[in-house]
Amino acid sequence: MHAVETLNLSKRYKKTEALSGLNFSVREGEIMVILGPNGSGKTTLLMILCTILKPTSGTAHIAGLDVVEDGTRVREILGIAFQEARGFWRHKPSSILRFHASMFGIKPDKKQDLVEQTMKDLELWESRDKMFMHLSGGQAKRLETAKVLIQRPKVAIFDEPTSQVDLRGKRKIWDKIKALRNEGSTVIVATNEVREAEYLADRVTILHKGTKVVCDSISVLKDAIAGGDVVEVGFEDPVSGGLVESLKELGGSLQLSPDGNQLRARVSRAEDWVPKMTSASYEQGAKISSIRVTEPSLDDVFLHFTGTALEEKQ
Amino acid sequence: MNRVVTLAVFNIRVLLGERMWFVLSWALFGLQLAIYGSLMSKLVVVEDYFFFYSIGLIVIIVFESSADLGRHFVEHAREGELPYFLSLPISRRGLFAANALYGATNTVIRVLPPLAITLAILGRFSIQGIVFTMIALFLLGLGISGLMISMSFIAFKSVDIYIALVAGLSALLIRFSTAFYPIGRIPPIYQPASYATPLTYGADLSRWVLGYDPQLLLNPTVALVIVIAVAVGTISLSMTIMGRIIEGVKAA
Repeated sequence: MHAVETLNLSKRYKKTEALSGLNFSVREGEIMVILGPNGSGKTTLLMILCTILKPTSGTAHIAGLDVVEDGTRVREILGIAFQEARGFWRHKPSSILRFHASMFGIKPDKKQDLVEQTMKDLELWESRDKMFMHLSGGQAKRLETAKVLIQRPKVAIFDEPTSQVDLRGKRKIWDKIKALRNEGSTVIVATNEVREAEYLADRVTILHKGTKVVCDSISVLKDAIAGGDVVEVGFEDPVSGGLVESLKELGGSLQLSPDGNQLRARVSRAEDWVPKMTSASYEQGAKISSIRVTEPSLDDVFLHFTGTALEEKQ
Repeated sequence: MNRVVTLAVFNIRVLLGERMWFVLSWALFGLQLAIYGSLMSKLVVVEDYFFFYSIGLIVIIVFESSADLGRHFVEHAREGELPYFLSLPISRRGLFAANALYGATNTVIRVLPPLAITLAILGRFSIQGIVFTMIALFLLGLGISGLMISMSFIAFKSVDIYIALVAGLSALLIRFSTAFYPIGRIPPIYQPASYATPLTYGADLSRWVLGYDPQLLLNPTVALVIVIAVAVGTISLSMTIMGRIIEGVKAA
């Protein structure tokens, strides 16, 4: 049984179709990252899974429970950190977390220690007595994450968990999310940050215009791109037309920078292509200043499967 | 049930932090009663008008505090707290009940001290009278809260329109009611409007409970039935509308 499963799930807001016939599943104990630009339907999907929105059609199940029919029971086993931490302006972070712990049945004798430890882990302890309205954006976001960490739900959902959080804070939150998975929770993370997805994902689902484009592990998705390696070559002088023609004969796709000094090649095997390229350059008298071999990024994967760059869509 | 109480207490704590508002509200009541109540009782020739007026004023406080619950709900939705509350392991009815408990507490805090003190000053104080009056006022408050929450869907289109409509409606419901004048003294042309406002029934029922001359009041049984009907009707309507509004709260 999947921890989360949707079947032909659709959600329409008047004329806008936010989700369209989505079939999506998450295995127990994995971190599933939903990657997509703003407006791809990520948040709508999460809102349906946590029973805040009702689907227009189709079904969604959490641990076998229907999100529409068994809403209250679903909410008992599910925790969500919202995209934007809002509300509770006149409450203190510690009282918000204590309230959250009470609502999810954490025993009073454990509650205080758990709240204190989680706040310390997320560097919120110093701000425990500030009003929510006086927290910075990053602190409010960490508080949102802290709710789920205290709850330790069977299924944890994080909607863009590190937006507005500084680099050090991001790493802390990511490690906590991984620890949550290691303790047995199934985790769904929605993001449009490639680095976050690469750091966290056991599998990635790419969502585009309300539909699932592809779902698999990052390595499989990267391998699926034809010309799996990316070689970036820097030349001391602009590349001549003759060299370009010679390199084209080696296969792969080439992209020359506007000044003609940088060449980006997508090739199937960099270890075969690079020696041939250096020979061709030597024969044409072109001096190489740098060679960099990289894997395609998730942005490349997104571009490959959707025809649009993820960054451009933000 | 435990979670309903936990949620209600969480909200009530915020309420209890606003002590200054309660003190100001009580002070305003005292001031209005002392100045306008005394003045009006000289101008209006109705038996024991000062007492009549003071209960009318209490009914207006109930109205305002119940209208606050509607605004509280709208604020929750606008400020993003509502999606959080909706994600908690509590049924939608439980969520509604927690809000009702919050509203009832707000009403009791705002109404009970001035009511008790006024009745004591006027020599009409009795525990029994206070309890039954509070029940009547609570029922009226439920009806008004339901009405205000039912109207909150407007706030999702425009908060300004919602505020303007609530202010306009409040003025009409209060002015046409029997809060300040007995139904028999209201000009016949306005009487249909008086019968249309729930405050009329709540005010007259409370006065009857406290022993005011029944000749100047509506039939208490009719008043009770209407107050209960309004409470049940608007609460049911608001629960239905709330379900639909939730669908409108797209982003969290």
